[in-house]
Amino acid sequence: MKVDIQSLETFNQLAREGAEQATTSMTQMTGIEADVEVTKLSLVDRQDVGEELGDREFVGVQFDYEGELAGETVLVFSRDCRTSLIEALVGGADSKAMARSGVKEIGNIMMSGFIDGWADYLGASIDHSPPSYIEGNGAAVLPDAPAGGDTNHVFVFKSRIEWVDESIEFYIYMLPEYEPLTTVMADHADTGDDAIPVDKLEVFNEMTRSGTEKAAENVTMMTGIETVAEVSQISFAPITDVPKQISNETYVGTVIEFTGVPSGYLMVLFDEVSAKNVAEAMMPVDMGDDELTDQHKSAIEELGNIMTSGFVDGWANVLQTSVDHTPPRLVHDMGQAIIDPLAAQVGRHQEHAFIIDSTMRTDDIEFEAEIHALPNEQELRQALDDLLVERAGKTDADPEQIFQE
Amino acid sequence: MKVYDGQGETESEIKSEQIKVGIAEYDVTKNGAVLTTSGLGSCIGVALYDDTAPVSGLVHVMLPSADDMEDGNSAKFADTGVETLIEELEATGGDRENMVAKIAGGSDMLDFSESGSGIGQRNVEQVKETLEAYDIPIVGEDVGGNHGRSIKLKSSTGDLVVKSANKESTVL
Repeated sequence: MKVDIQSLETFNQLAREGAEQATTSMTQMTGIEADVEVTKLSLVDRQDVGEELGDREFVGVQFDYEGELAGETVLVFSRDCRTSLIEALVGGADSKAMARSGVKEIGNIMMSGFIDGWADYLGASIDHSPPSYIEGNGAAVLPDAPAGGDTNHVFVFKSRIEWVDESIEFYIYMLPEYEPLTTVMADHADTGDDAIPVDKLEVFNEMTRSGTEKAAENVTMMTGIETVAEVSQISFAPITDVPKQISNETYVGTVIEFTGVPSGYLMVLFDEVSAKNVAEAMMPVDMGDDELTDQHKSAIEELGNIMTSGFVDGWANVLQTSVDHTPPRLVHDMGQAIIDPLAAQVGRHQEHAFIIDSTMRTDDIEFEAEIHALPNEQELRQALDDLLVERAGKTDADPEQIFQE
Repeated sequence: MKVYDGQGETESEIKSEQIKVGIAEYDVTKNGAVLTTSGLGSCIGVALYDDTAPVSGLVHVMLPSADDMEDGNSAKFADTGVETLIEELEATGGDRENMVAKIAGGSDMLDFSESGSGIGQRNVEQVKETLEAYDIPIVGEDVGGNHGRSIKLKSSTGDLVVKSANKESTVL
């Protein structure tokens, strides 16, 4: 089954318009100004859906739909967000039941527009159920991702919506069943030069996971801290949404440009607390300093280098090509400002981009690292075309070899 | 396009409205709102202000020129972005003869190109060229270098507050 860039663009655009319509409905009802920050279409391992929700408490509504597309759509607000919304709507909720019905009402209005937009575009009817109220912590608030025959992957449309004045956000997830969605996407593709075999996109995702696992192993080796790869996903979004994939907090990390097929950029980023923690784990003495010193930064540079090598080797093994890269550059800046020049570079030739994201974590200390890759779209497509699916498992980078470099 | 004219807002609302301008977006205001944009790396924020109207606007451009690109979003490019902002400000009651500009961004951080100038620098050059073509003076700038910036245009005063990571804010 093949989809093309055009159909990925179209479907992403549909999700964005739906989210915007939903947001407008909410603004009309409550007077709260909100903006759709980012909409992306991601291919994710089923078990990783909703990782970005963390462990926070969410409430929201869920719809089931069937027809040309089948699956679930969910709108979730954080709990604080709910209180403000309901106050704006009915001037405060005295009882739990009222709060629930407020959430349901807002959710219903927001989501009807969302689903209707899809049906209009597809020129087919999509029936949806009445909204049901949901609540839960983190990813548990979401319905189980639909199982799709022999694949572990699901396509997820995600929109993050932020209020203008406050740092409150909510999310819309659309979790269509895999088969109907890919069929519809393939129907809307004209399978010309830019067709992408969907199954290979999955392989690429698995490959990214392996790369991240390698990078995590390298962290463990360097620091003695047991580190695990958490999430990996490949997403598709307009180039102007790419910088929003990263928060605007200050990050420390390394960036490389890689060449070959595909070429592109790879970032290894730590938030400042993580950077300090992990750097100190690599140092022989306790720094006892709250500031991020040059020693911390050079430790991060070294670690970024090792993580990059692990990750890139994972790719190269699967692609059976060498992936060359520049020496890593140390960065310490606002997240969005770090990725912005890279997006601009890639954006000279393409309007949309694939973004490959993964994270790793450890339970021992407060530590999280993000890896983001921004490949050239055309070259990624070619790499996928050349990729033999059965090589996906072969990502064994030899650590000895990495350390000899 | 969104124009905030203050209608429908209560008199008691003293705190200035904040309008977020995303990448490759612009917005204009005539009610003293604060226009913000964040995470400028090689991108540039161009603030235009006509205090006789008064109207203000902010555009967040990403690439130097719309030439050779089949892309309908004028706000993505330095040349067409600045032009669009001028036109929108005039449509809202401004006059290009009275406009002044303040610009920030265009950093050359993470420029991997081995020859020629990076996107940040070319963005700066293009913004300046387009503003010059419209005879709009640049009365404040914080461009180049190798760090990111976030900016806030206080349209009631025309002040442009520039914030960088690990640095104090400056006001242009």
